[in-house]
Amino acid sequence: MKERLEEIKIKGLEKIANVKNQTELEEVRKDLTGKKSELSEVLKSMSTLSNDEKKVIGMLTTEIKTVFENNLKVKEDKLIATTSVLEEPIDLTIPGKKVSEGALHPITQMRYDLNDAFLSLGFEVYSEDDISSEKYAFDNLNFSKDHPARQSMDTYWLEGTEDKEGAERLCLRPHLTGGSVRYLLKHGAPARFVYPGGVYRNETTDARHERAFDQYEALIVDKNISFSSGMVMIQAILEKVFGRKINTRMREGFFPFTEPGYEIDMECLVCGGKGCKVCNHNGWIEVMPGGVIHPNVLKSAGLDPDEWTGFYINIGLDRLVMMRYGVDDVRLFHSADLRFLKQFK
Amino acid sequence: MKVSLNLIKKYVDLPKDLTDEQIAYDMTLRIVEVENVEKMSSKYHDIVVGKILEVKPHPNADKLRICITDIGDGEPVQIVCGGSNLYEGEYVVVSKPGAMVVWHGEGEPVKVEKVKMRGETSYGMICAASEVYLSDFFPAMDETEIVDLKGIDCKPGDNIADLIDMNDTVLEIDNKSLSNRPDLWGHYGIARELSAIYNVPLRELPKYKLDTNLPKYNVEIKDADKCSRYIAVEIDGIDTRKSPMWMKSLLSKAGQRPINAIVDITNYVMMAVGQPLHAFDKTHVGGEKIVVRNAKDNEELLLLDNNTIKLTSDDLVICDEKDAMALAGIRGGKKDSILPDTKGIVLEIANFSASTIRKTGKRFSEKTDAAIRYEKGIDTQRVDQGLNLALELIKEIFPDSKIIKYVDVYPNETPKNRIKVTEEFLNTRLGKKIAREQIEQILTSLGYELSYHDGEYDIVVPTWRSTGDVTIKDDVMGDIARILSFNSFEAKPITITVEHAIKQNDILLNRRIREYLAYRCGFYEIYTYPWIDEKYIKAAQIDTTKSLKLATPPAPELSYLRSSLIPGMLEAISKNLRYYDTFKLFESSQVYYNGDYRPSTDDEILPIQENYLTGCIVGKNAKDIFYEAKGVIENMARYCHMDNIKLEQIEKPNWADVNAYLNITKDNEIIGSLGLLSVQVMSSSKIKRTNVAMFEINSCKLTPYDSRTNQYERLPELPLVEKDLSILVDESINWKAIEDSIKSIVKEIEFVDEYRGNQIPEGKKSITLKVRIINEGSTMTSEQINEKMSNILKVLNKKCGAELRVE
Repeated sequence: MKERLEEIKIKGLEKIANVKNQTELEEVRKDLTGKKSELSEVLKSMSTLSNDEKKVIGMLTTEIKTVFENNLKVKEDKLIATTSVLEEPIDLTIPGKKVSEGALHPITQMRYDLNDAFLSLGFEVYSEDDISSEKYAFDNLNFSKDHPARQSMDTYWLEGTEDKEGAERLCLRPHLTGGSVRYLLKHGAPARFVYPGGVYRNETTDARHERAFDQYEALIVDKNISFSSGMVMIQAILEKVFGRKINTRMREGFFPFTEPGYEIDMECLVCGGKGCKVCNHNGWIEVMPGGVIHPNVLKSAGLDPDEWTGFYINIGLDRLVMMRYGVDDVRLFHSADLRFLKQFK
Repeated sequence: MKVSLNLIKKYVDLPKDLTDEQIAYDMTLRIVEVENVEKMSSKYHDIVVGKILEVKPHPNADKLRICITDIGDGEPVQIVCGGSNLYEGEYVVVSKPGAMVVWHGEGEPVKVEKVKMRGETSYGMICAASEVYLSDFFPAMDETEIVDLKGIDCKPGDNIADLIDMNDTVLEIDNKSLSNRPDLWGHYGIARELSAIYNVPLRELPKYKLDTNLPKYNVEIKDADKCSRYIAVEIDGIDTRKSPMWMKSLLSKAGQRPINAIVDITNYVMMAVGQPLHAFDKTHVGGEKIVVRNAKDNEELLLLDNNTIKLTSDDLVICDEKDAMALAGIRGGKKDSILPDTKGIVLEIANFSASTIRKTGKRFSEKTDAAIRYEKGIDTQRVDQGLNLALELIKEIFPDSKIIKYVDVYPNETPKNRIKVTEEFLNTRLGKKIAREQIEQILTSLGYELSYHDGEYDIVVPTWRSTGDVTIKDDVMGDIARILSFNSFEAKPITITVEHAIKQNDILLNRRIREYLAYRCGFYEIYTYPWIDEKYIKAAQIDTTKSLKLATPPAPELSYLRSSLIPGMLEAISKNLRYYDTFKLFESSQVYYNGDYRPSTDDEILPIQENYLTGCIVGKNAKDIFYEAKGVIENMARYCHMDNIKLEQIEKPNWADVNAYLNITKDNEIIGSLGLLSVQVMSSSKIKRTNVAMFEINSCKLTPYDSRTNQYERLPELPLVEKDLSILVDESINWKAIEDSIKSIVKEIEFVDEYRGNQIPEGKKSITLKVRIINEGSTMTSEQINEKMSNILKVLNKKCGAELRVE
């Protein structure tokens, strides 16, 4: 009898060891510890034995059952730890399910980046309409009466108003600056605000020139501030946009609505300032004109130039976006071409 | 404008250790942007004088010759050449191997190599003028003519750059960036600025001792507003000899082709001091009298190129006793030309008003150098600089010439502007205190005169800055700032106050909508032009009666400005269909139409300008894309935090399908539309083999929430029971009827699916819906659920004739 039990134990343990999955495990469990198992049969056949023998065999049987149960538990734990929810392994190289496509225009993205930066500096966002008048686009801004930009070779005048003057001569705004006087007339000073938007010029287009392009202008009007404050602002903004410190320089520039006016160049990001095709081999890219608001403009806005001063910066969004991504043709921005737009998710 | 540093250095002693690049950089930061720095000699490397010792025929080519040439390198070399004017003993220009030449004067420069030409070795080439940038110096009669250096003092091996004075650096400046600085249109003006930057003295211009007792030339100025000064000098002993090499060289470097000495002198003076001059052949001035007057309407002037120009009374002309000879300050006529037989001249040095020149100049597509300068506004005192320099040069080049007559008619002198500037103003606006000595040095170098009392400068502006450039104290401050360099001022931080926290709900709403469409609904944002191709306006059947037009559109078909974003979208769809079958686009822009809109002052009446939003979904299955677009609009309010908008069918937009359209309304006003594009619109805008669902909203009508307004709802204590139900109804029953019929007896109702097919009887459709029900107070038993469901069915049957669909 003892030998038989020994044999049951060895065979049983072997069966447990050979179990490959949960189903087999359950079968083996039934087989080894169930009512119809060999161990049960041994117990049933004990009636012929003496009491002492019964006692010994009984203990032995229980002991083997415990061993089986322990081993089954260990086996089960092991199986759970290594079992997959999948019946079959899957191809892990198949691409995942697509998420919803879609994106903002790269210029909108840049505009929002700048908005975020300027909002953190306490600037409001203001928007002027696309169509303005000669009064707001030129007269208020100290453009001389015969300034060439007033000609139809430069500015898109509306049919029927092109031969009129001032407030009656209407155009697609050639720049954003006219909005500065509109804002100041409405809200007064001190003021700090940005006014992004599209501007329109009668030009011949090529990879570097467009008839419709986007600008981003910022203006501060306050008492006793110096133009050098503009520099900090520009540096802060560029750093925000490009994620690192960008070298800049200010140089002489002339605009009717500023005195003094300056151009702000940033180090060319394509060549790191060494000189390349993009920067015309001089290492610098002109990104922002700016300057101190001309006293005549402040007067147009109803402000006393002896009391108030301030400065503009005007960022060419198209050029900045071109720099950001290395875009080489400005006309792509208005092409509505998805092959282009899909790159800016 | 091109600036020769050699000429600059004639007027100012620049610090010795300065590189040309540094000068260009300093100019860029402080005066005007230098676009290009060109070392002139670099174009002429390995190009030398050669002497032809022997000319032999080429054994294999009739048109080529073999020239044994001494190029100063010891042994003479053999060069094959096809020039038509080769002779023994001729001094020629030789490009040695390594030199860069422009083949036949066209295209990019290429490198000269030692080659075999038809079997004969050629050590470099003997060049024509156009091949080695020498056309200005040795103009050729035809293209086979090579440069003959006869009469030039030179020997074999001499560098050509030395011969033509090309050891110079030329800085290029964009004319546009000089438009506000009439004083910088000559080298002397730029030299003056450099003297201020480097604090070195500026040399005086030559002074010619003119005999003031000379007989007077007869000059009459009819309109002194247009001509403030006119000097005429009659000079004999002039001819059309060539200029000396140094002058030719300077003109060539400045981009001016040398012609003859007298014309060259006028150009040189203009280049040096910025004062235009004009020389008339004295015999062409009828009656020895010059009249400066307004032209008569329809008066004609014959130009040098034999074209006639019709004049108006706005034009100012220079006339002799009888006829107009020249357009004042712009260009000469045929009559006044200097010709080979010219023996004497009348030299004009005059000042014409900027506005006159600008007005007349517009008539010509190309501006002359004189016109460009006059229209910037030149001071009348500049005439003296021009006169003195011109007479000096004439004396030098025509030593036998003689001044016969002279007159200076001078009705108006340019006054010097006077400006008072306080020290305090300068300190505040510059953001730092600049020492008085430094301010005085800068301003004095620039030609200002100034005195200082009690914290205030009394400043007299030089005449050359008084023609409009410097008028107010800010201009003076600007001059100081730029000469010191804007970069030398420490940037002052900007302060922010907490009270001025910004929240602009309108601006934010527009951003939320764009982000919702792009990032949640999968649309790509596009930008289109405000001018719209008429083809697409017609296709979209947009009414143009209130539309605006451009006076000078980019193209004839692009004259309308958009009054709707739909046409631009149609164009974008048709273009993108070349590459994609399914896509979603949107645009948020302004549209315009006639109306009365006064955003600022009352005198300004603008057209109506409104922000619109349009979007499209392009795909094959019309029904799917319609419902997708509908979902986009339905969910917009919720996701973008704005007041609710509704969809109802009221009025069909022109572009929409006869059935599938809805109007977008808010407070009972139509603010937009949604629908499938009609077959007609698709066919006329070349949108083929697909369908388009489109929407357009006047986004000005959307109202953002001031804050988040939806209320939290307590979580239900008891579970909701969710049941799906498939019913059969007549085709005529719409979802709205079904929903309305049981809305009040269920907690929630949701559309799941609509189905027509084999199993469904004709005229019927199957609708699957989901309802959620709940019992107040206790969990529903299965009996209660069954009872509720059968009640729902009963109501559906009664109100909509619905039957439970049996599988």
